[in-house]
Formats: sequence, structure tokens, C-alpha cells
Amino acid sequence: MIPAQFDYVKPSSVEEAVQALQQAGDEAKIIAGGQSLLPVLRLRLAAPSLLVDLGGIAELRGIRDEGDRVAVGAMTSYYDIIRDESVQQHVALLAQATETVADGQVRHRGTLGGSLAHADPAGDLGAVALALDAELVIAGPEGRRTVPAPQFFLDYFTTALGESDILTEIRFPKYTGWGSHYEKFNRTAQAWSMVAIAAAVRVEGGSIAEARVGLTNMGSTPIRAAGVEQRSWATGHRRRGAGSSRKGHRRHCRAE
Amino acid sequence: MLCVVLAQKLGRPVKWTETRSESLLTAHHGRDQIQDITITAKKDGTVTGLDVKLLADMGAYLGLVGGGVPILGAFMFNAIYKIPAYKFTCTNVFTTKTLTDAYRGAGRPEATFAIERIMDELAVELGRDPMELRQQNWIKHEEFPFTTVCGLTYDSGNYEQATQQAMELFDYAGLRREQEERRRSGDPVQLGIGISTFTEMCGLAPSRVLGSLAYGAGGWEAASIRMLATGKVEVITGASPHGQGHETAFSQIVADQLGVPFEDVEILHGDTQISPKGLDTYGSRSLAVGGIAIVDASQKVIAKARKLAAHMLEADENDLEFANGTFTVRGTDKGKAIQEIAFAAFMAHDLPDGMEPSLDADAVYDPENFSFPHGTHLAAIEVDTETGHVDLRKYVCVDDVGTVINPLIVEGQVHGGLAQGIAQALFEEANYDEQGTLVNGTFVDYTLPSAADLPSFDTHVVSTPATSNPLGVKGVGEAGTIASTPAIVNGVIDALRDLGVTDVEMPCTSQRVWRAIQDAKGRSTQETPVDTHSPGAGLGSIDPNNPQGEVQ
Repeated sequence: MIPAQFDYVKPSSVEEAVQALQQAGDEAKIIAGGQSLLPVLRLRLAAPSLLVDLGGIAELRGIRDEGDRVAVGAMTSYYDIIRDESVQQHVALLAQATETVADGQVRHRGTLGGSLAHADPAGDLGAVALALDAELVIAGPEGRRTVPAPQFFLDYFTTALGESDILTEIRFPKYTGWGSHYEKFNRTAQAWSMVAIAAAVRVEGGSIAEARVGLTNMGSTPIRAAGVEQRSWATGHRRRGAGSSRKGHRRHCRAE
Repeated sequence: MLCVVLAQKLGRPVKWTETRSESLLTAHHGRDQIQDITITAKKDGTVTGLDVKLLADMGAYLGLVGGGVPILGAFMFNAIYKIPAYKFTCTNVFTTKTLTDAYRGAGRPEATFAIERIMDELAVELGRDPMELRQQNWIKHEEFPFTTVCGLTYDSGNYEQATQQAMELFDYAGLRREQEERRRSGDPVQLGIGISTFTEMCGLAPSRVLGSLAYGAGGWEAASIRMLATGKVEVITGASPHGQGHETAFSQIVADQLGVPFEDVEILHGDTQISPKGLDTYGSRSLAVGGIAIVDASQKVIAKARKLAAHMLEADENDLEFANGTFTVRGTDKGKAIQEIAFAAFMAHDLPDGMEPSLDADAVYDPENFSFPHGTHLAAIEVDTETGHVDLRKYVCVDDVGTVINPLIVEGQVHGGLAQGIAQALFEEANYDEQGTLVNGTFVDYTLPSAADLPSFDTHVVSTPATSNPLGVKGVGEAGTIASTPAIVNGVIDALRDLGVTDVEMPCTSQRVWRAIQDAKGRSTQETPVDTHSPGAGLGSIDPNNPQGEVQ
């Protein structure tokens, strides 16, 4: 189907983009990779009068190693995240979860910032940001501020972003050497998660010293499974599916 | 029809375009039957009778052959088995839903599903291995031709051969052992083995049979072959392909028949200005009917060429041999290539008395019988009993489609058919709410699998040539779709049989499978309302039917 008519601007700086949003008020919608927004527009479930395309703002794209953390520009595509060395080395869970998102075409267009700002509880990356204590950098009319992930996700499709705010960057502490896995239960390989679990653990001497666990689509926002994290996994933990076929096991543990 | 009326009114060309959603809502659906099947057998496993009662949903109005779909299926419920008594009752009903009509297999997948499911249930009832029970009841290869209880004569087949090969490739015995082991150890992931030993009637069809069923057309197919002065060959067929590769297979046939290079053959089709005569592509008939019309036209061309060759070589027709595109006078090296003869026929400077110039021929072929491809399909299916997730681990099939003209096309048809039939068993479904509104009428909500959801298929062919046509071909277009659906559902239920599950409605989604397991354990579950937004569909948590203003 064809979307309703809208105006379109493609600013070249964050400031210009914020300005455009301010002028248009609640009639405007930001378009990042468009992988969530375009289907909604085509089905005419939304009809914004203005689209502000962030694709022309160079500073929003790319991944920086900042010593004790990795900063991912909001407009960095899934494809670039999966292949980034510092992500793979220090924030492996992010790469693993991102790899499960939809299909190759979506991963070339879709962006981390777009997914987090859309805040669909079935989205895979909110649980990762939450579990890994990510910080989200937001630019607005009053300048820039940093919001920790737990304060970012407020409700179903609702975040700390105001009407004229733009998510610019997502900062992840480094989890170098941690083991991690993103386990997803979905109907078909390319479908959204019915449920999923993001888990990262630091292993010391064969037992779990620290754990981070986030849950996808089990509530109106991503959920941090703090109780699970605190529980000692060192004793009595048996890996689920032991004794099943090798292939079945691989299906459950393919990202290990 | 609308386009024609509008074009006449406007005096301009009119083109119909529709969106995917419009197509999903208004183009026909398929397979909507409620089947009540009763099978009777002696204690030793010999099947003695089959009673089929169908309630077939036509949708809101009749399609092209909507009411004929269950009738076509009626001939196939007895399938490969020697069932002495058979009763078929069908009630076609109108509903407020989208119309149903012929969808790849048309009636035969529904029938095959019913008989292959009930054979599994009969095996359980009798405590027999389901394959062994099938073997006991099917038509043995030495019993062909065999006239079935509903009057069809199966000309050829060898169920033993296809089954034996499939069971070996599949490692049937090994997988049964693994299944036993998993059952014994109470593995949360259970293994099921799904069997489908299918046959179908295709190559539609003898016109007189279609006439007896009050079908709206005959079942012949037309071909014309024109040898040009250049030696190239133009072939016109009424069986118009839309991606099946007829051009390739038909070119191979003509190249073989006339002994001309494959690349010198051009297949023309799909335009009533070029090929006004034909009944088209459906019912796996293009090769078994259209292909034979081409053979017949080729033979007419050769017969005329033989007369002209004899004239040119000053020899007796009966002394000529035709091989590799050349007529040779037996016992000499004197010969004429068919292209030379075509040129001579075109020039017409020196033709035998009474011969018309040009080398071409028309043929219309009306088959004397259907063709009956068959095959043995085996699926190994893992079901996670904790989540209801179904994982198709292995799929082996050995199809007997008679003579194979092009192995790659056959393999492609089987692969595509399998994906379609497996999708019916595991993924696809048209959901309506209580008001009769289609609630998954976009690809946002309608579940289709991709290659990532399917295993690498292990497909093989064996060949027992059809005796009803000169090429021995049977047709392959619908085989995979017909055979695979029951194999999958049988496999899912076989995996859960020990838990007390005896049925899971298609598609066997994780929700349905999980619920069936809970029901079997005597635990109550909540039924999901039919219009509930399917989790994990294309818009994530946004339900396109009931948007909550998520994105404004």
C-alpha cells in the first residue's frame, strides 16, 4: 500500500534535526532505518505530516572504542554492529542479539537507535541494552543528556524521548571476556521474538561470578531479571536440553 | 472480466493491479475441508473399507472449479491401497469467507492427508509399524495395471522400490531406535517419524472423463511444429508456462525427436495470437499431455520429411532410417539432414506429387488415461515438549514420476512443492474473526517460512515409466505439495504419541502443539481467540487489525 502524504526533511546536523522537530510539534516523526516505521506508514496505521530523516547526519553513524566503554552511534546499522570488532570483543551479546534480528535486508537498513527509540517490547535490543547497563545519549532543545537504560524504557512503545528529542548514541560498558548468549523463541526464523532472553556471565574458576540477564517481550518494556542474576548458578545448574540431539542443542545454543 | 468491460467502454487498454492484501483477501484460498474418516480393517491389518464424509467450504461463492476440487479428491482417498469398499459423501457449503478453489494439488492433497493420517492411526490401533501396515495393503508392483475401487486404472508404479530406497536413505530403523531411546529417557525433545506414501492422479485429463464429471472443458492439449528454412524449429504449445521451465523441457523433447540442436528450438506460448489452441498448465499436465502433443506433432513432421527425403534420395521410404536428425538409405552413406529437407520443403522447387510446401505439423493429444506418479516421503521431526516448538530435522523423499526429461526441473518442482506442503502443515493459515473478517490478510501477519526454517531436502527419483503415453512421463508439479503435508503432521503426532496426543490441527504451531501436550496431560489451557494478533508477526507488537495508537 502507499503511505499517506507527508513532508520530508533530511537535516545534516543534530541541531537542525531538533529544530525541525520543534517546529513541527507532535505531527513529526523521525525516520532512521525505516524498518519499523515504513510498514506502519504503508498500512496507514500512522500518518505523520513530516518525516525527519536522520540519514544525513554523519555523526550519528559509527562505533567508537572509548577505553572503558564502546559507544555506538544511534544510526549505526545492524550490519555494521554485527561486524564491528570492538563490539564483538567487548559487547559480544549485542552482536549476538543483533544477528538474530529479521533478515539480511532489514539488518542492512535497520539501526540500533531506531529499534530502541521505537521501543517495541518484542524488539530484541532493548533487553540487551538493559542487561548490559547501557546509557543512552539524547539530544533535545535543552542540549544533550544521558539516560541509563532502566530510565529510558517507560512503557509499551514509550521512552524517555520527548517530542523534539533525538537518540544520538548508545554507550555500553565493556564486558571483555564474558560469555554471552541471546536465546530467541519465534515462529519463523525472520519473525519477531515471542519471547527471548539476553544473558551475559563472567566466569571465574568454573563458576559464575557475575550475571546480566534481560528479557524480551515479557512485559510492556524490556525486563531486567535481577533475581536470576543474583541467584548462584554455580551449583545445581544443568544446561537445558542435555541429552537431546546435537542439532536440537545447536539450535538452542548457536550463538555460544 | 471487469477489465474487458471497462476496456470496451473506454476504448483503451485497461490493466488490473491489486495490492498483496487485496490479493490475499479476494484471490482464492484452498484446502478448507472438515474430514470425517472411518477406516475398517481385519485384525491382521487388511483394510476392508473406507468411509469419507467431507464438509467442504466453498467460501462466499463458487470459483472456477471450486466445487470440483473435492470431487477430484474423491478419486484419491483410497490412494495406493487395495481398499475393497469405499463410500464418499461430500457436502459443499457456502460461508462468508473468501472463495476456495484449486490450489496446487486441488483435492488430492486433502485426500492424501486424510488417508495417510488414518493409516497411521490404524497402525497405532493394531500395534503395527505404520510402514509395514502400508506395505501390507498397497498394490504390489506386479499387480499393475490395477483398477481401484473408484474405477481408475493405475497403469504403472512400484511402491516397494521407492519405499525401500527412501527408508535406507532416511535410516528408518536407526531413527526408530533413537525415538525409542528418547521416549525411554523422557527426553524433553521427542522425535517423530512422519510417513506419507502418496500417489496422485495427474496429467489432466481424458476429455471423456472430464465430461462425465460435468467439467467445463476438455482435457486435450495442442502443439504445432514449424521447421523454418533456416533449420530452426518453432514450437507452439497451448501449455503456457509461468516459471515451470516448459521451454527447456519441451525443447529437449523436440531436439530428441527431430535430432536438431537444443538451442535451435524455440518454444512459443502464452499469447492467443500465437497459440490460440490450448487448455493450459494445471494438474501436472503440461508434460504428460502438452509434451505428448509435441511428440505427436514431431512424428508428423518426421513422417512428411521421410517422404521428401525418399524423393530427394531417390530411395524407397521403407529403406530410410532416421537417427540423429538424418535420414539415411539403409546400408549406404547416402543421407539428408532434416534441416536440408526443411529447406527443400520451403523452397518447394522439387516436391513429390501432391505434397504441400513447408515442413510443419499440428497435433492435438487427448490422453487415454491419467498418470499416477507416486512416492515415499519421510520426515524426522523433533518436538520440544516444553515449548511446543517443532523442528523439521530431516526430510527424505523418493518420487516416481516416470521418465525424467529434466532432472533439475524435477528437483526444483519437488523442492518448491515440499516447502509449500510443509508450510501448510506448520505455518500457513487464513484466520477469520467471528464476523468473518480475514485477520491475517497481509504478509505482516500471514506466516510464510523461509529457507532458514526448512532443512536441506534429500530428494531422489526412481522411474517406472507410465505406459499410457509414448514418453513414459507422469508429471511432477504437485507431488511435493501433496505428499509432504501428511508426512509432517504424522511426524509431529508420532513424536507426541507417547504423551497421549492423537491429533494436532494444522498448522502445528508451537501454541497448538503445546496446548495438545497440556490437554493430553489433563491440564487445562486457555484457547487463544482467533483474532488475537499472532505473536512475532511482521509489525512486532503492533496489531494491524487493532492498532492502539502505538506509533503516532
